[in-house]
Amino acid sequence: MNLRHIVHAMARSKTGPLLIAAQIAITLAILVNVVYVIAIHVGLERRPSGLDLDSIFWIVSEGHAPDYDHARVTHADLIYLNSMPGVVAAAASSALPQTGMGWMLGLSPEPEDDGQITPAFVYAMTERAVDTLGLKLIAGRDLRAEAVVPPGQHQETQFAHLAPEIVITQTLATKLFGGESALGKTIHFSPVHRASTVVGIVERLQAAPPLFGSASDMEERVVIAPEIPSGPTALYLVRTEPGRRDEVMAHVEKDFGPTQPGRYIERIETLANTAAAMRAADRTGAIALATVATLVLAVTALGIFGLAAFAVTGRTRQIGIQRAVGARRRDILHYFLLENWLINTVGVAAGSALALAVAVQLATMLSIPRLPLIYVVSGVLCLWMIGLAAVVAPARLAAAVPPAVATRGIV
Amino acid sequence: MLWHDVRQAWWSFRRSPWLTVLIIGAMAAGIGTSLITLTLYHARAGNPIWWKSDRLFAVTLDNRLVDPQSDGNSRHPEYPPFMLTWRDAQAIYRSDIPVRSARMFASRRLIDPQRPGVPIFRAATRVTSADFFAMFDVPFLYGTGWPRTADEAPEPVVVISKAINDRVFGGVDSVGRSINVSGRPFRVVGVIDGWMPQPRFYDLSGAFDPSEGIFLPFGWTTAWELPAAGPIRCLSNDQVGSFKELLAAECVWLQVWAELASDEQRARYQQFLDNYVREQKEAGRFPRPLNNRLADVSTWLDMNDVVGDKSRILVAVALLFLAVCVLNTLGLMLARFLGAAPISGLRRALGATRRDIVRQHLTEVMLMGLIGGIAGLGLAKAGLWLLHVLLFLPMARQSINPQAQTIAHSMTHLDGQMVLAALAMSLIAGLAAGLYPAWRIGRLQPASFLKSQ
Repeated sequence: MNLRHIVHAMARSKTGPLLIAAQIAITLAILVNVVYVIAIHVGLERRPSGLDLDSIFWIVSEGHAPDYDHARVTHADLIYLNSMPGVVAAAASSALPQTGMGWMLGLSPEPEDDGQITPAFVYAMTERAVDTLGLKLIAGRDLRAEAVVPPGQHQETQFAHLAPEIVITQTLATKLFGGESALGKTIHFSPVHRASTVVGIVERLQAAPPLFGSASDMEERVVIAPEIPSGPTALYLVRTEPGRRDEVMAHVEKDFGPTQPGRYIERIETLANTAAAMRAADRTGAIALATVATLVLAVTALGIFGLAAFAVTGRTRQIGIQRAVGARRRDILHYFLLENWLINTVGVAAGSALALAVAVQLATMLSIPRLPLIYVVSGVLCLWMIGLAAVVAPARLAAAVPPAVATRGIV
Repeated sequence: MLWHDVRQAWWSFRRSPWLTVLIIGAMAAGIGTSLITLTLYHARAGNPIWWKSDRLFAVTLDNRLVDPQSDGNSRHPEYPPFMLTWRDAQAIYRSDIPVRSARMFASRRLIDPQRPGVPIFRAATRVTSADFFAMFDVPFLYGTGWPRTADEAPEPVVVISKAINDRVFGGVDSVGRSINVSGRPFRVVGVIDGWMPQPRFYDLSGAFDPSEGIFLPFGWTTAWELPAAGPIRCLSNDQVGSFKELLAAECVWLQVWAELASDEQRARYQQFLDNYVREQKEAGRFPRPLNNRLADVSTWLDMNDVVGDKSRILVAVALLFLAVCVLNTLGLMLARFLGAAPISGLRRALGATRRDIVRQHLTEVMLMGLIGGIAGLGLAKAGLWLLHVLLFLPMARQSINPQAQTIAHSMTHLDGQMVLAALAMSLIAGLAAGLYPAWRIGRLQPASFLKSQ
């Protein structure tokens, strides 16, 4: 019993083996690429946000009265929120982290350096912003009350009077100054013609969920500038002691609105919910892809099993004859396993080529790095195993055919 | 004859019920998955104003200062920015070549219903020109848009959506009545009747956002220093310290649309735009080569890549899965038919023609495809419902506009076209999986089987 016989036998009825090989090829192409895309997605999900996500909630209020004084109300609201039992720190902010909203400005270490502009998120926040967001300060200090500048007239002109001191993320510091310490350095904000000194560096702050496929760390380039965000919409972030978020939120929902006239509370929401909502679409996409990949694998495995089973029942007589002329049980078992292995190998070989072709296409469409070969290798091994497992039962059935079958007239 | 074939198929199913269930299940999974992804694709790929899509044009001018390598649109660096600066929008709007045209941007205003029990709320607002409504065939429940004369020295007139009308006026005809917009009384001139183009082609910065609830004459932009709710992109380092400076800066944030009745009109308008940019070049603006584009609605949706590669990839994966299911069925049916070949041989010997045999076997596979298709439709319905409840509805609830939930619903709605697609897919899948096995079994010589018995 050798390969030549098997190839010879298969050549006589090619259709079945070819179909299985084609099925395995497509399955491998889907499987490898889906697993790769999901792996990238999981990698992005695992990236830390830098925020104390579970203890923060946010409030949006909107001033509507003609005599609504935004700066005064913000000041009073912050005193109220910071004095609530269970609150660690509260601050106003021009944009909500994790949503990707807010202003981006062009930054450079040198003035008017048009060629070297680094876009970054710029948040206007009030004092103790770092503490409010639960960020890890790795150098310098948090924003001080004395540094906070009054609000701009319009949202469009938010940073026209950017404060002289700012806090930035480590990612931005490295981008701008490389290995040197950014503390005490000056950053130029070209669109508003201002320059500010770095007084604090935080380890990490995600302004948005990481963009799928983007190699840059854009979402982690953030500047926090001490400024009362312009109105009449106000956004407050409140960080509570661990485990007391919901209790504090309930209090705020009940009592906060009426503390100031001329404005209303539009929304109160946990930051954890916001972060989850921002990731929901990508997460669902990944789950959908995983489901389809599992289904493809299941259908293919059942197909291999089904065809092998048919091959055995269809060849019962021949098997009987072979047994009668001296083939042992394990010879029969080996024959079927070997035959299947051959089909599998043709399938995974074609599948590897197909998988790589699909991967090239995907890499440009999603702008992700080229598929690492380890995925193809693992996919090939996985399909080999599954193919083998699917054929074991039919092959054992074949091996169990008694030699006496050969002497019977009718199958 | 058909009845006979179906009964034959039934007997065949009975002979190997597990195999039948497996094949139908695989078909259902393949068709169901394809339907779900096609529905999501379909919802994004629509052209909401197809009947005059080739007469409506988005205007883009290439006012970029640097060459596009460093620009955000990496796939198509040749595209101009998708929005315009204030002064360009002003200048272009002055042309009388188009039948109609409109400048616009998204803003937001507070609405005080001044009714007991109805709280003040924030409403998405579109600031635009009088032609907006006629140009985009906006249906009115009551009243109409405002006259062009109300645009420049802006009159306090407003067009509101049905949803706002229901909320503020309890759904009655509110034309002529006063509504409090951010502390100012405005006169309602029209109520829009449930208009929600998807995608929202006229401003794709929120392609699947609902259309706005409040429409204000364009002149209010400067009169009120209205904030832009959409993105503002500044292409230069102009000082932007005040609203006036924003209007003068090289920052893009407005859309201009034009309705052009003929190719000749389009050519003249293109000429007008190019001439305008040439004039500006002399003043030191527009340093790059002429690149002004008029994009009709379908081109515009395409340029903005509203469909997105993600939905294309999902459809491709689902169709590949369906292909695997078809190959699977093909192989299994071939094996099953050949296994039962003696029966066919017997039938042939008893007088059935070759065509009868082929037809009967093909019917069997087509029947499985059809049942798989129906089951797939059910699967798709269930899958889309899950997506709606777990993904689209929670996302819509994040929006300040309650109409976002209607859109969430339409994104996962399995419509008649999709039922037809299910039917087509099950027929094609059945044919693809059944033709070859049926042909093979029909070709067998009956004698070869009868002999061995």
